[in-house]
Amino acid sequence: MNKAFGIINFAGNHIQVDGLQEYRPVGAFSFLGRYRIIDFPISNMSNSGIDNIQVYVRRKPRSLTEHLGTGRHYNINSKRGKLNIMYTEASQPGDIYSTDIEAYIENLDCIERMNMPYVVIAPSYMIYTADYSEFLNAHIESGADISMMYHAVDNAKDAFLACDTLNINKQKGVLSIEPNRGNAKNKNISMDTYVMSKELFLDLVNRAHKTSSMYTFADILNEECESLDIRAVSHRGYFAAITDFKSYFDANMDLIDLKNAVNLFDDEWPIYTRTNDSCPTQYFADSKVTSSVVSNGCLIDGTVENSIIGRGCTIKPGAVIKNCVVSADVVIGKDVHVENMMIDKHAKLIRGKRIIASPEKPGYVKRGDTL
Amino acid sequence: MKQNNMLAMILAGGRGSRLHDLTKKVAKPAVSYGGKYRIIDFPLSNCANSGIDVVGVLTQYESILLNSYVAAGRRWGLDAKDSGVYVLPPREKSDANLDVYRGTADAISQNIDFIDTYSPEYLLILSGDHIYKMNYAKMLAYHKECQSDATIAVIEVPMKEASRFGIMNTNETGRIVEFEEKPEHPKSNLASMGIYIFNWKMLRKMLMADMKNPDSSHDFGKDIIPSLLAEGKNVYAYKYKGYWKDVGTIDSLWEANMDLLSKNNELDLNDSTWKIYTEDVTALPQYIGADAVINKAFITQGCVIDGEVKNSVLFTNAKVAAGAKVIDSVLMPGAEVAEGAVVTRALVADGVKIGKNAVVGSADSENIELVAKRVKGDE
Repeated sequence: MNKAFGIINFAGNHIQVDGLQEYRPVGAFSFLGRYRIIDFPISNMSNSGIDNIQVYVRRKPRSLTEHLGTGRHYNINSKRGKLNIMYTEASQPGDIYSTDIEAYIENLDCIERMNMPYVVIAPSYMIYTADYSEFLNAHIESGADISMMYHAVDNAKDAFLACDTLNINKQKGVLSIEPNRGNAKNKNISMDTYVMSKELFLDLVNRAHKTSSMYTFADILNEECESLDIRAVSHRGYFAAITDFKSYFDANMDLIDLKNAVNLFDDEWPIYTRTNDSCPTQYFADSKVTSSVVSNGCLIDGTVENSIIGRGCTIKPGAVIKNCVVSADVVIGKDVHVENMMIDKHAKLIRGKRIIASPEKPGYVKRGDTL
Repeated sequence: MKQNNMLAMILAGGRGSRLHDLTKKVAKPAVSYGGKYRIIDFPLSNCANSGIDVVGVLTQYESILLNSYVAAGRRWGLDAKDSGVYVLPPREKSDANLDVYRGTADAISQNIDFIDTYSPEYLLILSGDHIYKMNYAKMLAYHKECQSDATIAVIEVPMKEASRFGIMNTNETGRIVEFEEKPEHPKSNLASMGIYIFNWKMLRKMLMADMKNPDSSHDFGKDIIPSLLAEGKNVYAYKYKGYWKDVGTIDSLWEANMDLLSKNNELDLNDSTWKIYTEDVTALPQYIGADAVINKAFITQGCVIDGEVKNSVLFTNAKVAAGAKVIDSVLMPGAEVAEGAVVTRALVADGVKIGKNAVVGSADSENIELVAKRVKGDE
């Protein structure tokens, strides 16, 4: 499908994941041990035949650029395709001027130079699989100006609170885009995933830029709902939005159950990631591992229950890990008991023997920290 | 090449017929090992880690999978400019008929033209079917230090097993004075590892002569090394210490896998300074179920475990269903053990399914059972 190029957008100012986001953008968050969140949108594009992809980043780009590399591991043709990392300068965290529109304006010439007639835009803070070639073809067939994906949920009162919702008419036309105020259970959550002609995209970006310096792409769409034919396309299957710490934690936990994971992972739709060349995981004689997802390269002596273990972790004898999300290269020392925690990369839990948070409010151990 | 002027050639034509059904469709170097690797990953990763960037792989027997596998030099980082892995099966040449490789030395002789394009100063000859980690740069340094014409890596083996190997007898300086192939009464316990460094110019001359010799079996061990010694060339033994295994049989392949289960085992695949690289397979992390019991195991991505795994090695995408037991066994990639089945002291080949409640292998069997065909269970 060389009818479209792809744009992967950064998480906007409305998304704030305490702890993790201090070190890297949401797209570079470790997910389910061996993945990073951005693996999902890029794999979706790659599997859909989109091999010209622009990834927008704003702050702390190191871990993301390292992970993306040349894009070869995403099965992107190294001659005909391209994974471009688009930097935006001068924006501060939480800066009102730091919007996706601002980033597109800064890189306008690169977008203009793309010679495909369509663009598919996907966010880097959502986890789902979708076939964008089907999405594009349906869009072309419908004759709509813009198609956008939504996921109908029944828990919008307590979840997806930082997301937008779509107000849709019977013909699946989008009437308005509004923030989720948590006032109703059933909502159509916007997946921040769009397809439109490149021409219209550029036009909207310019219009938004002229209207207000703090406008986002969703803002201008909302304003144009009446004048443009915006079609809502329903998504089925697994869907998660990483909008805060809790949603990050819960999304990981949900996928410990293989029954949920099969809704996301499909042999025919591989999720690519960067290999770390770690060897298989070694379980020693006294290890007790149950209901968990374990990555390669770990050495496990202790007990792991209902947890996600990242690559290259060492879990010493007598250690107990319960309901935790453990990132790569973490050491859990002898007889250390951790519960309901997210433990960031390279952390060492050695001295403090009981590190326990409540299940309602999971805790966080900083990257590279020694406890 | 620029770095050390040494080119490596890996002999990967061996059939490994004592591995029975495992090598029916793939050559021995392509046999799976250690959860996620193939045997040839070891010499290739050693080359990459030793700073050798041009590697020729000599293939012959059932080479389709092996050829395509090693051709992707990127896997081992052997894909920089002027770097690469070259697959070299026997081929027809303008001045000779298409012929199979008649022996290990002949395989090199038939590729003199390839080696000449790089005109290396040193040629490293490796075997594609050994499991070990070795820094060939150190061996080359030793070769230079001794001003050798040829250097042969040796490993100390127990004296009582020495008669199974090619034994090098050395003088006090480490110079090889005699070579005995599988001697009845060994004089030393230094076994050849089939790893040689030659000065290329000298070897080239010898190979040209060997090609024309009608009495030669064109083998390094049988012909080239003995004539080097007969000619009084400087041949030194380079002593290697560490894990080294030639997995010739099902039992030894099983054993080499079991070696990975002990704590601080000698091979240490987890050493981040000397990684072994392999194909990057797209698979989920390991899924361990609520009732799983795992004791002493080496398990890789794609595995789904709901049953019991004891003292076993599980390869990519192996599955153990609830109530199943896998004990003292090796499950090769994609092997599946259904509910209630019991697998003991067995090596289950790639993709083989063990049916519901089936019983495979036994705790007191002398040999390891190779399961290469589907085992039916209760329907």
